[in-house]
Amino acid sequence: MTLAPLREPSTPERRTAPRRVSQRTLAIGGTVAAGLLAVHWYAWTQTEFSLTALAEGWQGIWHFLFGRDQTYPNGHHVTTEGAFPIDTSWGETIRPGIGYCLLTVCIGLMGTTLSIPASLVFAVLGSRTTNRFPPLFWLARAVMSVLRAVPETVYALMFIAAVGFGAFPGVIALAIHNVAVMGKLWSEAMDEADQGPVEALRSAGASSYQTAVHAVLPTVMPSLLGLLLYRFDTNVRSSVILGTVGAGGIGFYIKQSVSGFRFDTMMTYVCQVVVLVILIDLLSVWLRKRLALT
Amino acid sequence: MPRLTTSARQLDTIDRGAPMLQIDGLTKRYGATSVLDGFAMSVAAGEVVSLLGANGSGKSTSLRCVVGLSRPDGGTITVDGVPAVDGRPIPDVAMVFQRIHLVPRRSVIDNVCAGALGRLDLARSWSTLGFPAELREEAMACLHRVGLADRATEKAGRLSGGQQQRVAVARALCQRAKVLLADEPVSALDPAAAEQVMRLLRSLADEDGIAVAAVLHQPDLARRHSDRMIGLMHGRSAFDLPAGAVDDATIEALYRPDAEAER
Ligand SMILES: Nc1ncnc2c1ncn2[C@@H]1O[C@H](COP(=O)(O)OP(=O)(O)O)[C@@H](O)[C@H]1O
Ligand SMILES: [Mg+2]
Repeated sequence: MTLAPLREPSTPERRTAPRRVSQRTLAIGGTVAAGLLAVHWYAWTQTEFSLTALAEGWQGIWHFLFGRDQTYPNGHHVTTEGAFPIDTSWGETIRPGIGYCLLTVCIGLMGTTLSIPASLVFAVLGSRTTNRFPPLFWLARAVMSVLRAVPETVYALMFIAAVGFGAFPGVIALAIHNVAVMGKLWSEAMDEADQGPVEALRSAGASSYQTAVHAVLPTVMPSLLGLLLYRFDTNVRSSVILGTVGAGGIGFYIKQSVSGFRFDTMMTYVCQVVVLVILIDLLSVWLRKRLALT
Repeated sequence: MPRLTTSARQLDTIDRGAPMLQIDGLTKRYGATSVLDGFAMSVAAGEVVSLLGANGSGKSTSLRCVVGLSRPDGGTITVDGVPAVDGRPIPDVAMVFQRIHLVPRRSVIDNVCAGALGRLDLARSWSTLGFPAELREEAMACLHRVGLADRATEKAGRLSGGQQQRVAVARALCQRAKVLLADEPVSALDPAAAEQVMRLLRSLADEDGIAVAAVLHQPDLARRHSDRMIGLMHGRSAFDLPAGAVDDATIEALYRPDAEAER
């Protein structure tokens, strides 16, 4: 049996398959590859990437790992505690470390939770699905872009300058940055939501607010919760970094042990951070799975 | 809920003469392509009109212009004697869709209540919790009308396609629509469910005096359930005839492939 050609009366017949890769694709691919090569060559020269420097620094790495005693000619004596063996004193390091970890989680949690209301407002204003007024839409997008362009650490430094060291400036820094990031993620989720229910309610005379609350939000709620958990996870990690610039939690004590040449204590804290991050990751994966089921 | 119950007296009061929905000279272009080119039709209270036509002939666009989802370039739309404002939904006109467009995660009754959003202020619509008790009663009456009152508390997404389409009709009733536009309401349904939905639309016209216009792809369903059939071709009506007067040759000509190519 042969297949009868099904074609429109006016179209000419064509039997040969088109070429796999067109000349145009080849030309574009070549240009892109050359461009990438040039950019990376420039970056290589700028970062003074040097394997010899790495090899010559082996002594420093050795001292970091296993410590040393130094006596200066003037009699001054400096002891560097190497990272290994790690500091295992329960009362002085491990138990307080657990407390610092908890504080780090608290900072991440507060930063995430406090940002929810503003994130929601920005997400609704910054999504085409829910905001049909272009000036407000662009304003919301612009504010989020600007807020997002400033790293959490810079916010933390600003608020530490304002209110002093501690967990509080960390919370504020995370919250502000997270409004911009989560607002963007949420507005993208809303952009991708099924437009059908939105049109159905709009045709019934519903306002933008009403379509947002009665069509968009119930449709995208699982995605929003998933993104919220993902941001909580990320914010706990960020809060470790914020600690190193003075915004509370375990990061602060990691920085302190480095400053005091106590690399053994630092390594204990780092191990605790690893455990903490893995636990939070497992929790968020587990919760997201539960969400997907409902 | 007097509107939703049938009485002999009410049947008498349905004015079947004057058009409830009147469309004249509707035009719409997307860039260089003209989608609607002087489309005209009218639907009287208590009448079921079916729209037929090849894909791309402008059926959806014409209905979307009426409910304000598309903005026509020209022409007039009049509902119950009142001219429509371009690009604005009309409270008296409700639409149901092929893909149904309920919110699957919400309960059936909440979906029906949403039909009333156009007449609710912020205090009564900020959340489903704000819906007044009378509205929930009215929604139950609408669900009863489509035979799904017992499914009110279930998530809409759990119902079958045919049941969901009937919930969408209940939502239109809760909007208190006088005109119901249906864009391929049964194209995604099996024959039994399609028949049930078409009977429902027919009874809304007969018993509640609603003006119904439905896009259908099955000429035989259209013949059995509608009073009048309108054939669309190239954005204007090719025929507008009583359902009994549409023969197979007329339908055949409407869907002939080269009819599109000849433009
Ligand atoms: N938003 C749009 N932008 C561009 N073209 C559109 C848009 N909506 C519809 N069209 C075009 O208008 C024509 C008519 O579409 P439609 O009214 O959906 O036809 P039907 O419902 O009869 O199949 C089609 O050719 C379609 O491609
Ligand atoms: Mg269509």
